[in-house]
Amino acid sequence: MSALIVNIRVILALLLREARIRHGRSRIGYSWSIIEPVLLISALTTIFSLVSGQSASVPDFAIFFATGVLPYQYFRNSSQFISAAFEQNRPLFNYPLVKPMDAIFARVVLEFATNVFVMALVLSFQIYVLGADPPSDYAQLLLIILLITCFSFAAGLNLALGKRQFASVGNIYMILMGPSFFLSCVFYSLSSLPSNFRDILVWNPLVHVVEGFRGAYFPDYQMQDVDLMYVVWWTVVLAFFGVLRERVEKRKEI
Amino acid sequence: MIQLDNVTKEYRLKNGQVKSILRNLSIELPERNIAILGRNGMGKSTLLRMIAGIEDPDNGQIITKKRLSWPIGFRGSFHSELTGLENVKFVARIYGQDTDRIVEYVEEFAEIGAFFREPYKTYSSGMGARLAFGLSMAINFDVYLIDELMSVGDAQFQKKSKATFHGKLSGSKIIMVSHSMDALRDYCDCGIVIHNGTVLFSDSLEDAISTYEAINK
Repeated sequence: MSALIVNIRVILALLLREARIRHGRSRIGYSWSIIEPVLLISALTTIFSLVSGQSASVPDFAIFFATGVLPYQYFRNSSQFISAAFEQNRPLFNYPLVKPMDAIFARVVLEFATNVFVMALVLSFQIYVLGADPPSDYAQLLLIILLITCFSFAAGLNLALGKRQFASVGNIYMILMGPSFFLSCVFYSLSSLPSNFRDILVWNPLVHVVEGFRGAYFPDYQMQDVDLMYVVWWTVVLAFFGVLRERVEKRKEI
Repeated sequence: MIQLDNVTKEYRLKNGQVKSILRNLSIELPERNIAILGRNGMGKSTLLRMIAGIEDPDNGQIITKKRLSWPIGFRGSFHSELTGLENVKFVARIYGQDTDRIVEYVEEFAEIGAFFREPYKTYSSGMGARLAFGLSMAINFDVYLIDELMSVGDAQFQKKSKATFHGKLSGSKIIMVSHSMDALRDYCDCGIVIHNGTVLFSDSLEDAISTYEAINK
């Protein structure tokens, strides 16, 4: 019991510290978390409404891209941030109370809080200023956000452990995540694709995350090929191997 | 006070060689001020870190009910963008201390004036050391762990540090790694010598020092 209290105390202390230094020396600091998705959504909206020539439907474009960019960025940014939990907190493990998993959990919680806040802000703007419809199913939306949280924890933990053994794991992940922006239904819907593309893209778990998010947001969204259980399995398997590996190695990166 | 139970620790070197620090060591460390002696690379610091709980042994376990410190004077955790005050608060929070009390204590002890509220990157090395030592003294532990006690600051500050530390020893014990026999004689009354994977405990510090000197010849 008291061990649990120590754990929670350490995670809270790490959380405050990480929040303070998340964006390093950057003066705008924390607000970058909001600026980044807003810029991306604006850029996509501008490009697509120019290309399509339908300036009247700008708000429709905007909410569609927002519901793609927000879940996608949540996963990409937080899995990457979590994957650096060991190396960036290395000196802190000299305090015997600070365990490697504490560093992981602090980042999971910080990313969750940040992203829920950013999502609320961006979506509120769309609803109250641009006149978009509010989400059709709040419970489902929250469930998807929790799923992304667990998935990015599982992916981030495995990456962190992998990096501890081979530093290049981080670089390989960056290379993989590069094209993922184009392959994860961020700015198009799965149902709009020809079936031969669809059959390939459904292997990408992020497709289901993004489309699942839209499915929760828009009523009657086309979801035939979207399978959230597929993401759950990715999460469960990755989390199982990650936690097991951490237990077995039980080693501190110093 | 601290029970080492069948502890094994080894390091795998890049060339595939295995370097053994401890082999199946079982020993009960008494509730006294203990010196750890040994030649370079024999694993003194590793032993200290295992006692602290920073590193786990490969095999066996280390059992204690005492509250052990982190290595005294450690300052690698200080973040360059955070102020001295913020860095101190972080450690106080980890240890579940009253942050205001700790902050007040360290601010007064470290004597770095307005720098206490400036980012750590602006500190001179001496100021960092003062902050770190003050922080180590701010929290009460049953056992203080020391890996090479370095003298910090000017003569006046050294005198104060020494007095504060000696004050702590009325209620606490220390375990100390050092190459300086003078420093060990200052604080310790018994010792262990670590050599080639084995450990020898001596009831008197002088015996431990002569064992160490015999090995060193």
